Amino acid sequence: MTQDVEMKEQPAPSNSVTSVGPSTLQHLKEIASLIETGAYAREVRRIVRVVRLTIALRKKLKASVLSAFLNYALVSGSEVHSRLSSYLPKEDEQDMEVDTATSTTQAPVKHPLPELEIYCYLLVLIFLIDQKRYNEAKACSSASIARLKNLNRRTIDVLAARLYFYYSLSYELTGDLAEIRGNLLSLHRIATLRHDELGQETLLNLLLRNYLHYNLFDQAEKLRSKAPRFEAHSNQQATPILFLVLLRHQSVWDMFCRYLFYLGKIRTIQLEYTDAKESLLQAARKGPAAALGFRVQCNKWAVIVRLLLGEIPERTVFMQKGMEKALRPYFELTNAVRIGDLELFKAVAEKFSGTFSSDGTHNLIVRLRHNVIRTGLRNISISYSRISLADVAKKLRLDSPNPIADAESIVAKAIRDGAIDATLDHAKGWMVSKETGDIYSTNEPQIAFNSRIAFCLNMHNEAVRALRFPPNSHKEKESAEKRRERQQQEQELAKHIAEEDDDEF
Amino acid sequence: MDPNLTEVSQLFERFKAAFMRNDFDTCDNLLSQLKVLLTKFRSLPPLFEETPKAIHELTLARDIYEHAVVLSVKIEDQDAFERDFFQLKPYYTDACGRLPPSPQEYPILGLNLLRLLVQNRIAEFHTELELLSATALENPCIKHAVELEQSFMEGAYNRVLSARQTVPHETYVYFMDLLAKTVRDEISGCSEKAYDSLSINDARKIEMFSSVQDLFEYIKEEHPEWEIKNGFVIFQRAKESAPCKEIPSLQLINQTLSYARELERIV
Repeated sequence: MTQDVEMKEQPAPSNSVTSVGPSTLQHLKEIASLIETGAYAREVRRIVRVVRLTIALRKKLKASVLSAFLNYALVSGSEVHSRLSSYLPKEDEQDMEVDTATSTTQAPVKHPLPELEIYCYLLVLIFLIDQKRYNEAKACSSASIARLKNLNRRTIDVLAARLYFYYSLSYELTGDLAEIRGNLLSLHRIATLRHDELGQETLLNLLLRNYLHYNLFDQAEKLRSKAPRFEAHSNQQATPILFLVLLRHQSVWDMFCRYLFYLGKIRTIQLEYTDAKESLLQAARKGPAAALGFRVQCNKWAVIVRLLLGEIPERTVFMQKGMEKALRPYFELTNAVRIGDLELFKAVAEKFSGTFSSDGTHNLIVRLRHNVIRTGLRNISISYSRISLADVAKKLRLDSPNPIADAESIVAKAIRDGAIDATLDHAKGWMVSKETGDIYSTNEPQIAFNSRIAFCLNMHNEAVRALRFPPNSHKEKESAEKRRERQQQEQELAKHIAEEDDDEF
Repeated sequence: MDPNLTEVSQLFERFKAAFMRNDFDTCDNLLSQLKVLLTKFRSLPPLFEETPKAIHELTLARDIYEHAVVLSVKIEDQDAFERDFFQLKPYYTDACGRLPPSPQEYPILGLNLLRLLVQNRIAEFHTELELLSATALENPCIKHAVELEQSFMEGAYNRVLSARQTVPHETYVYFMDLLAKTVRDEISGCSEKAYDSLSINDARKIEMFSSVQDLFEYIKEEHPEWEIKNGFVIFQRAKESAPCKEIPSLQLINQTLSYARELERIV
């Protein structure tokens, strides 16, 4: 199998290596020097850039380039070097060529930095995963994780977070996620103790993914509710510099979206639909444009949650670019719920049962039956001022041995839950809908208006509070005195807002 | 043979004998002893050590906890049920690859679902449901609980009550009886909102009492605000949201002031 892959891969690089090879290697060397300066100056920002540059290079990674880079970055003959090289396929002739080119530049690095070592692990791991050699990727990632546990440097955290991700990915691809759960938990503990926020969040996401992969919603929720919260430091002023770094780092946003998606899923299962809807819609909206599959998933769940809440999603949701086909079953489902037709609903659920069970939404759709009945009932109550229960049963197409008694209790429950405004007359066996009163004669509009204003004002305040400026961007423009004055003003304003928030009403 | 294992097996035999005789006090005693003895086996959760006798020990322990769950239903102790069930669960989830499936698994899982339903813990009910495979959902014991939940949510209460006749397992009866009580409370809650009044006979039928006397007692205890007059039960319907007669001035002033303050800060 692996032999096969190598055979196919071989010819391609030999043609292009002359043009692409050196430049990719050159890029990698630049990255290596970036890591060095970053590590010596303890600047996390540079390492973040390294990760971004690496991802850009990902498609160009070749075995020959990698082994050349390993020779350059690591002391040949060292344990790491020999281990990492063993994962790479041997390519003799090219090796020779590149080797001679690098051997001259190899001299300066004598004691490889741990950052550089971890970076090499990361590169090889990405390469292995791209080559679909998952078992080797598993071995490689496990080795790197074992090494990471003994390293405690802030500049490594960013690289470590990526490694955790690929570690979990390689195990997921071979279907052994359950194996590494204990390991991830202990890594999360270590990250928490070291205040490695990026690591904590990556690991929390990976753990949630791990649990949800096996439908362990209970465990996932327990972990999520007890682990340090994500939102806590994305809104607050934890450390402005770190915050800036995080903001610039696109993958942090992706991670946040992922977290929201997991959160939405957990809440959906636990019937907290309102909160679930909020998380899922946010995830669908904020999700990176490139990650179409992720956004489709978010949209599917969001549609179901909205249906469960008794809302009907707009048609535009289903017409989003590139999603029409994937969302088709959910579109038909929505249609059935909107009409309130139990038969149609059953037919749709039957027709797409394969899709629904592979999406993991089958149980949610079973829950929807109740909403279909409610909608149907609401339609009846709007159209008729008085209707016999037998007709209600017929219109709802309740297939049960005693439809009239069923209809009666279903209507009674709908009345109690406030879904319809009606009364029942048992003796005569009919349902009387009440005239809808004039809502503008009550306090209702006033309350609704107030809550909207409060929402807008709150949004503004949140935005003001979240504004952060790099500490030295306008240093040269203002004197120290002026700055102190400005900071004081800012602080007062922030305090002011916080205080008023407290004593509202 | 491991002496510990022999001791546990013997004790368990005595437990089963007492269980057959319905001698629940003895059972309870023996069970506590058994549970203490089980802690000595290192192959059981949470350690799951690979010992030569692991399979035998795991099977025995699973059998003991299954009996413990059934016993807790028989002595009608819901807390004990919950404890025993959680101890049993790892044997179904984490040891499933190593042990042959137990014939008791689905009835007990269904029983647990029913318990969550009776205690109105619907969120946990659905969390448990997600863990079940498609084949498990087809099992009559599980299906029974799932259908009950659906009927309960829809409001088809008579379907819930008639399900008592079709219980898939004798142990289910206890929870079904508890469920009947929950359902009756639900029906009362719905009726007082949905009807202006009901004739006594209709009320008796809807609330599913066998005699008018029972109905009167129930009303006296649970709903003293219902009125019985001229052969009718008259419900005191909650006051509708009446049109607002006076302007809630204090509240309005408060709100307006807060808008003004916020606007000032923005401008």
